[in-house]
Amino acid sequence: MAIIETTGLTKRFGESVLAVDDLDLTVEEGEVFGFLGSNGAGKSTTINMLLDFVRPTDGHAEVLGYDVHRDSEAVRERTGVLPEGFGLYERLTGRRHLEFAVDWKDADDDPDALLDRVGLDPDDADRPVADYSKGMQQRLGLGMALVGDPDLLILDEPSSGLDPHGIRQMRELVREEADRGTTVFFSSHILGQVEAVCDRHRRRPAGSRRRKVAVEVARRRTADRRRVRRRGRRVGLPGGRPAPGLL
Amino acid sequence: MTTTWRDVARKDFADAVRSKMVWGVVGVFVSFMGLLLLVAGAAFPSDVEVEAEMGLAFVAELAQLFVPLVALIAAYMSVVGERRSGSIRVLLSYPFTRFDVVAGKLVGRAVVIGSALLVGLVVTLGLAVVVYGVPEAGATLGLFASVLLFGLAFTGLGVGISAASATRGKAMAAVIGIYLLFLMFWEPIAAGVYYVLNGTRPGIQVEAWYFLLKRLSPIEAFRALADSIFEISIGSPVLLPVEDTAGATPEQLELANRVAGELPFYLSEWVLVVVLLAWGVVPAALGYLRFRDADLG
Repeated sequence: MAIIETTGLTKRFGESVLAVDDLDLTVEEGEVFGFLGSNGAGKSTTINMLLDFVRPTDGHAEVLGYDVHRDSEAVRERTGVLPEGFGLYERLTGRRHLEFAVDWKDADDDPDALLDRVGLDPDDADRPVADYSKGMQQRLGLGMALVGDPDLLILDEPSSGLDPHGIRQMRELVREEADRGTTVFFSSHILGQVEAVCDRHRRRPAGSRRRKVAVEVARRRTADRRRVRRRGRRVGLPGGRPAPGLL
Repeated sequence: MTTTWRDVARKDFADAVRSKMVWGVVGVFVSFMGLLLLVAGAAFPSDVEVEAEMGLAFVAELAQLFVPLVALIAAYMSVVGERRSGSIRVLLSYPFTRFDVVAGKLVGRAVVIGSALLVGLVVTLGLAVVVYGVPEAGATLGLFASVLLFGLAFTGLGVGISAASATRGKAMAAVIGIYLLFLMFWEPIAAGVYYVLNGTRPGIQVEAWYFLLKRLSPIEAFRALADSIFEISIGSPVLLPVEDTAGATPEQLELANRVAGELPFYLSEWVLVVVLLAWGVVPAALGYLRFRDADLG
């Protein structure tokens, strides 16, 4: 079953900016799907359309079998999200954020277990988020996304702000979730990070030549990173030249 | 489906009640009131009997300036602030509708602003009791209720503007504009309309609809409500001589003496309550319509 399916998805901002152009995308159940593209390629806009934050100019998208606009609440009930460049509530503690997330997802997760999973110190959890570093906020955001054991995880640039150790933990978390059958859709502008999480991937520039939404498809269960690299190189942009900003 | 606007309201209350800005403005209001009450109390000669309700009327007079400030400051960032910080995308990654967000913000901020105003009122009431003695319960309750209603009206305006705005700057410009409009420009506008239709400035005797037009402003509505509670005319904070009433006695300026015949129903006190409630809800509803269709990229 397709978990994410877009057909001809297009978004224009004003007259001049074509952020996403005619994107056809299918993510199957259980896949770890890396969405690769340079900065400004339209990755976040695509994700924002899947979550109904931004409405498409043209085309159609379904997530978990629901229309992303008409049935957006149903989509978001079963989806955990780490948005790109997100903000938190600076006056509230990390623990309070997790408690709200548990409440809002109608879940029964233990905030302490979540803190442990994303590598946040319980002492830090009782401080207001205003004191958090970017990496700590990213960890908290990931913890909030994991609440309620979602069927689909959408992570927009999940490694931003994380140190190498944090990135490694993030990768392990994504694998754990995938092993539990969760479909993972994540974006990155760094090929190495996509490789690190995905076992096999395919990149193709979707849409027109003017705007490239490079797409990485990664299917789990083949764990040979070398092959990944080879394939990654081979399917560069037309002309055998890697897309700018990818490597 | 169990998440609703109540969850947004609960979150928003927990967050906004910790805002130092809101409590700062309330602190300024209370200190200012305290100072004025003490000065005013000292200004009366000791042989003059000062009614305790005078103290409350003072509070109401200053509330015209401060309540809109407290409410607009506490409300104007409610939605647009989350859009700018990106937390709106965290909030909306949970199964809320955009209606839940605006309705929850309205309720959450109304409770925060209501709490702040209550604390401010209780402290100023304490000061007023020290200076003027104990006022009667009816007037006290009337003041509390009308100030809270007044706060709600400007909360609705602030949340509505916030929901309709894409940037903090636009929201700020709009709330400053709204504050000045109702504080300074509403009466000239009403008088201008009267002039266009009748060819004269509003004098002592005026057609009744003119008062309705004036009272559509939340500040005017609150003042008219306070007037009827204290049975004295509390002053406008900004006096512009747009009405042709120079030399009139206070008695001539009473509403009943300025309108010929019986007062029409629309100048009853309950209409003032309806006006304030409408300001609390209608702008937020309009702001919601803008927010519903906005891209939150």
